[in-house]
Amino acid sequence: MADRKLQLTLNGQPVVTEVVPDDLAMLDYLHEYQNLTGSRLGCGQGICHACVVIVDNPDGTCEEVRTCITGAHYFEGKKVRTIEGHAQLDDAGNPVALSPIQQKFVERFAFQCSYCAPGFVNAATVLVENAQRKPLKKSELEGAIEASLGHHVCRCTGYVRYYEATRDVLGDLGLVKEG
Amino acid sequence: MTRVFSNLALAIGAVFAFAAQAADQQVIKRGEYLARAADCMACHTAEGGAPYAGGLPIHSPFGTIYGTNITPDKQHGIGNYSDDEFFAALTEGKRKDGANLYPAMPYTSYHLIKREDADAIHAYLQSIAPINRAAPTTDLSFPFNVRTGLMGWNLLYGKSVQVQPAAGNSEAWQRGQYMVEVLGHCGECHTPRNLIGALEQDKRLSGGVLNGYLAPSLLAKDLAERGWTQPDLATFLKHGMSAQGSMFNEMYPVVHHSTQHLEDGDLSAMATYLLGDQPPAARVVQAVAHETMTASSQRGRQQYLNVCAGCHGADGEGKPHIAVAMKGNTILRQADSRNLVKVVLDGIREQQFTGFERMQPMPGFAGKLDDQQLTDMVNYLREAWGGLPGDLSTEQLAQLKVD
Repeated sequence: MADRKLQLTLNGQPVVTEVVPDDLAMLDYLHEYQNLTGSRLGCGQGICHACVVIVDNPDGTCEEVRTCITGAHYFEGKKVRTIEGHAQLDDAGNPVALSPIQQKFVERFAFQCSYCAPGFVNAATVLVENAQRKPLKKSELEGAIEASLGHHVCRCTGYVRYYEATRDVLGDLGLVKEG
Repeated sequence: MTRVFSNLALAIGAVFAFAAQAADQQVIKRGEYLARAADCMACHTAEGGAPYAGGLPIHSPFGTIYGTNITPDKQHGIGNYSDDEFFAALTEGKRKDGANLYPAMPYTSYHLIKREDADAIHAYLQSIAPINRAAPTTDLSFPFNVRTGLMGWNLLYGKSVQVQPAAGNSEAWQRGQYMVEVLGHCGECHTPRNLIGALEQDKRLSGGVLNGYLAPSLLAKDLAERGWTQPDLATFLKHGMSAQGSMFNEMYPVVHHSTQHLEDGDLSAMATYLLGDQPPAARVVQAVAHETMTASSQRGRQQYLNVCAGCHGADGEGKPHIAVAMKGNTILRQADSRNLVKVVLDGIREQQFTGFERMQPMPGFAGKLDDQQLTDMVNYLREAWGGLPGDLSTEQLAQLKVD
């Protein structure tokens, strides 16, 4: 095993960490090196998706990536957003406004124990932001929500409310076209 | 007195009728086993469809062929076939109406089937539920859509030549030969095909490419080179998994439909046939120091740690019931990197094996890693655990991507 330097953009801020073990999982890097503990360790084997973060691609698209099975160095040079990067913060770092997805999840009582919520917020945000670049047809809506959220596991079984909230946000933002 | 005799006659008659019925049941049961060994279900059952009702698409360079309905339905199935007609279909590729079957039906292997075995399979198929449903029509391009054109093909290629993968003559070896070459028709995928789709018999069982993936060589020297022993081969056939990895791609359904149902003695015989009565020693891969690896492999280690080690382990040890070990894995030990590259690009669906064993889905990395990163990673896998040089070039990888 060896250590190496890791540079990436984390929630809009450039970050450099000089010594990161080459086999460190990204989830451990976020928790132990950046004190960003909102991403959750669920199954630890890439199934439950509680640990996903958002990666912003150079082409303007974004995607979710599982951090429990992906090494920290995979994210070298990449732009990463975690659950801590969604709400607007004041100068003291306290949240003053939730993102549309976060707000609607709260209004819809989408989550109960909240363990899976960071993963669902990131996945739904990826869907909304990609729809902002390319609006969805009404006929594609349900399939798109299923494709984005369907692999996320919620042991409190809040799926229906997660789906309803996501549908609402897409509609409220005018991202669903006839067809 | 007369009444006593007539009662006695009735009783004897009943015993004979019962015995005949029991014999029929025995034949049907044996036929079911033989149909498993011949893996009829793999092609004659669509995904999620009724057993043996056909409909599975078989893609070939000449077009799509659909597995036919072989339930005893008289309209769409084989309900009107006699034993002779069934035997002709199985061994000569002749349909009841005299038309030639396409050689997706492995009559080129089945032509050596024993008559009593063919009759037993027929008895079994006639005993299952008839399904009144037509399979989709086979759609081949000209001239392959003209079935009479197969007469010449059959004259040239209809009979397989027996080229053995390994020497032997024991009883187990001979039984294994029948199981592998005839019923199992392993050679239909594991043998290269020529331009008009016929098996290159002089290269029998030396490996063939099927829908982009390699059905690897089953020759004894190649199996041993990739770390196979007879007990491991038998385990692999029984459970779909062994220390050498798990079945995937076209081989994955084989364990479900066929090999898991076979008797241990037959599986052991198949392994004996493939590796021979005097099996060559399985090659052991020596650990390679990181510093002595190629520059590409050294870079590839970080790619491996980034996207593979989470499930396959930093030292390639794997995780039980999640992901197979890389250490000792046979796919890394194929000199041709085709399957390794394809699996890395395409991923593997969640897989279920015998008992409660299962492996989680593996994500594909097409579009996630660039060609240099993929090449480095494959080279690392080859060198670290495959006992092979890390000499795959990005050009070779790019070719495999489109192949």
